[in-house]
Amino acid sequence: MKRLIAAAALGLAPMSAVAETITVTGEAIDTWCYFSGVMGGPEAVVGTAHHTCALWCAAGGIPVGLLAEDGTVYMVLKIEGDDHANGGDRMLEIASHQLTATGDLHVRDGVNYLIVNEVVADAGIVNLSHEEWDVTPSFAIPEPKE
Amino acid sequence: MRPANLIAAALVALAAPAHAADFSEGSEAKEWGLAGEEKARFAAKVVDVLCELGGDCAANCGDNRRQLGLLRDADGALVYVLKNRQAAFTGAATDLYPFCGKDVEVDGVTVQNEDIPGAPKLYMVQLIREQGAAEWTKTSRWTKEWSKANPDLKKVKGPWFRKDPRVTAAIEADGYLGLGAEADAAFIEYYFE
Repeated sequence: MKRLIAAAALGLAPMSAVAETITVTGEAIDTWCYFSGVMGGPEAVVGTAHHTCALWCAAGGIPVGLLAEDGTVYMVLKIEGDDHANGGDRMLEIASHQLTATGDLHVRDGVNYLIVNEVVADAGIVNLSHEEWDVTPSFAIPEPKE
Repeated sequence: MRPANLIAAALVALAAPAHAADFSEGSEAKEWGLAGEEKARFAAKVVDVLCELGGDCAANCGDNRRQLGLLRDADGALVYVLKNRQAAFTGAATDLYPFCGKDVEVDGVTVQNEDIPGAPKLYMVQLIREQGAAEWTKTSRWTKEWSKANPDLKKVKGPWFRKDPRVTAAIEADGYLGLGAEADAAFIEYYFE
């Protein structure tokens, strides 16, 4: 009730507006490292440079996002009917991959949420960021034993 | 708080956009030095985000499968939570899950990266308790749950992410860079030379 009154007074609907269906092409990223700056600038925490960490974070339940070509990030809540966005297998499978997906977009309090209805194309890992950034974090690859 | 007072407080908040208010008062959150970091302690309800946004609801918040959020009492904002308190590549949903549907108080930090145009304000939850409870729960449940799910790996040296079966399988299949064994070998030779 408290939240309903607060939302009503702010002129906000308690639920987001009806979803818009969109098609987006982008890289499946680790949203925490991307937005928090915990490991440096955003360019260094995408693609091959960050692939191992993206696997760790996906397995650890950090939300996966789709970083579109225009820089917009869509938080993936569900993918082709699979709602296991908290560390599910599908989240690991798509880590760092460039996907083209259609889905329902909800925008709420500045965050873009995407319910992916269909992955139209999976181009695999195409962002060769290690060529510029090596790997992030630097310990992502353990030093080979002699 | 009486409804009239709540409405008055909400109307005052109209002067600022959602998420712009200062929730740092009383916060005991640990600073991490993150992008646009601000301490934030507030009252909220733990919600299943899929259910909150579009009515796609599951019993018991999806039994820890789904991402969860915080519906803030003060302004009705849906706060998306990316991280728990552990420095171990771990999210927050598993820590929020025991509080599914409950009214809680949380303490943590928000991040908002000015280097990323249009970046939203997102949350790291460090402490959580039911409203009215005295004791806080530290959001460090994730690794405990992982250890329960992987008892055979308890004696294997190293942090969870070095020995997680799914992660190690993915790296064995596609390499650390995700490009296959040949690309990995060439990079490792350069990187550790």
